[in-house]
Amino acid sequence: MAFPLPRGITPPEISFLAEMEMVTIVPRQRLEGLELLGGPISPLIPPRRTPVPLWLALLLKRQRRANILPPPWLHPESLSLILDTETQHQDYKHAFSPPPPLPGQPNMRERGQRPIARPRYTPEGQRYYRTPPFLPQNVARDQAFDDGEPPTLPFHWLEVGTMLLDVASDDVVDPDQTRRLLKELREVRSAKIRSGVDLLEDAATAGGGVALTGVGAMEIGEGRGFISGVVDGLRRIGASKEQARREQMAEATANGGYDATQDDDDDMEF
Amino acid sequence: MEIDDILASVDSSGVSNPESTALDHQLFTRFWVAERSVPELLPWPSRLMNRMMERIQHQISTIEDLAATSSDPSNITTTTTVPGTTNTTLTLSILQTDLSRTQYLIRSLLRQRLAKLTKHSMYYLLLSSTSPPPIPPSSNLANPDIKSQQPEDSIPPLPSSHSTTSPLSISEIQFLHTHQTLLARHFGSSFLSSFPPQLRRLDDNAGGTSMVQGPDLRETVFVRCLAEQVTVVAPPGDGVDEVLGGTMRMGDVWVVRWEGVKEAWGRGDVEVL
Repeated sequence: MAFPLPRGITPPEISFLAEMEMVTIVPRQRLEGLELLGGPISPLIPPRRTPVPLWLALLLKRQRRANILPPPWLHPESLSLILDTETQHQDYKHAFSPPPPLPGQPNMRERGQRPIARPRYTPEGQRYYRTPPFLPQNVARDQAFDDGEPPTLPFHWLEVGTMLLDVASDDVVDPDQTRRLLKELREVRSAKIRSGVDLLEDAATAGGGVALTGVGAMEIGEGRGFISGVVDGLRRIGASKEQARREQMAEATANGGYDATQDDDDDMEF
Repeated sequence: MEIDDILASVDSSGVSNPESTALDHQLFTRFWVAERSVPELLPWPSRLMNRMMERIQHQISTIEDLAATSSDPSNITTTTTVPGTTNTTLTLSILQTDLSRTQYLIRSLLRQRLAKLTKHSMYYLLLSSTSPPPIPPSSNLANPDIKSQQPEDSIPPLPSSHSTTSPLSISEIQFLHTHQTLLARHFGSSFLSSFPPQLRRLDDNAGGTSMVQGPDLRETVFVRCLAEQVTVVAPPGDGVDEVLGGTMRMGDVWVVRWEGVKEAWGRGDVEVL
């Protein structure tokens, strides 16, 4: 067998991906800049803060060559604020707390503004938008959260948080409390995933989908087998109904009918 | 003069420019995630892969040079001091970790593609060969030498020129062709030879049902919308035009059918998670 793993990246692969997130370190020794295949690393000069990929930060930390500055969200204060949003806030009873905005997306305070996507271009001339793990969502910032901007959980929060607590717990503020809050967040959010199963039927229809905005990478990884299993099962059950509807629509369009869309609406309610 | 220099540096930036290294790494990582997650084989990004392979070659020779100089005893005593050598080992281990991570991604990508290829081998073989020379579908009855019908006959010949529409790379086409020939010969010798000649083909479409199974494009994927908004579609087919479905907004993560966002993925407007 060429490849034994199931479709969709598995949790170890998600951790691998999370190790590409940039974090800030304070080096304890000098090292000249390096040209890596994942991009250049700027020279390490103690005690200058330098952003490096998480895997490199963990490698240096294990050899006691650097200290890691934990990302601003990995702090008991920020985490309990996020936990409050997840549990108390009316808008997020059945949804995840909002993720950090993508570049060009309005942040929490400027809500209502239109997002302006800012693509870069690949050498092939295709549009390319940067997303996690290639956004600076986990680097240390000077002010924890500037101007009352509420803290947000980044896409790879669970993996980055767990790895930092494992390897660099002495760099994290109040590691026990942080660990407890991470665990609580995880439980609250996985309960939301479970309670959302009823909605999954929408994803089984053609052109439909279910929004999971704000979900973390590892939460997708954990739920992927179950969610795609349910959706694919529902789709197979509804396949003949869908086929019948398509035939009906084809007939309507063949008759020059304009009411194909109305038929569609009627069927949706059934 | 200065502008010419800048332009020249942009032109030659293909492989050596650190900015483009980082960008290609990001593109490749995203492609790997997508290939791992979607049900069908994605188009082979040949230019991106060529750049990646060239960089890996370059990096391997850099590591070898560094290892050679650090293990050279005359070098240690003359030019570098003892802390210098520990720094070299650190640099070496970082470079090697980085190289292994990239190699892991490439291996995983290629193996995933091989798994998809072998699962629906006949489908991809027909897909990659029909584009330039149309293969006549199984002409059972018209065929004069029906007595000598063999399973191998259903395998289309290797395309002479590599078509641009095929999602396979050249080596993947060669692999697939050899793989399917072996498989057909094996089926033929183990059981198909005892069947009646007209039932021996592997691409039979008697009764309007094709034997050749392709990937199910309706399987679900997780996507993130990257453009300002993207509309999920139900693709045309069965006499129905394309139907527009729900609208994703920027930053949204949705569970949708792959066929509904395939076009948007091709434009780079959504990312598979």
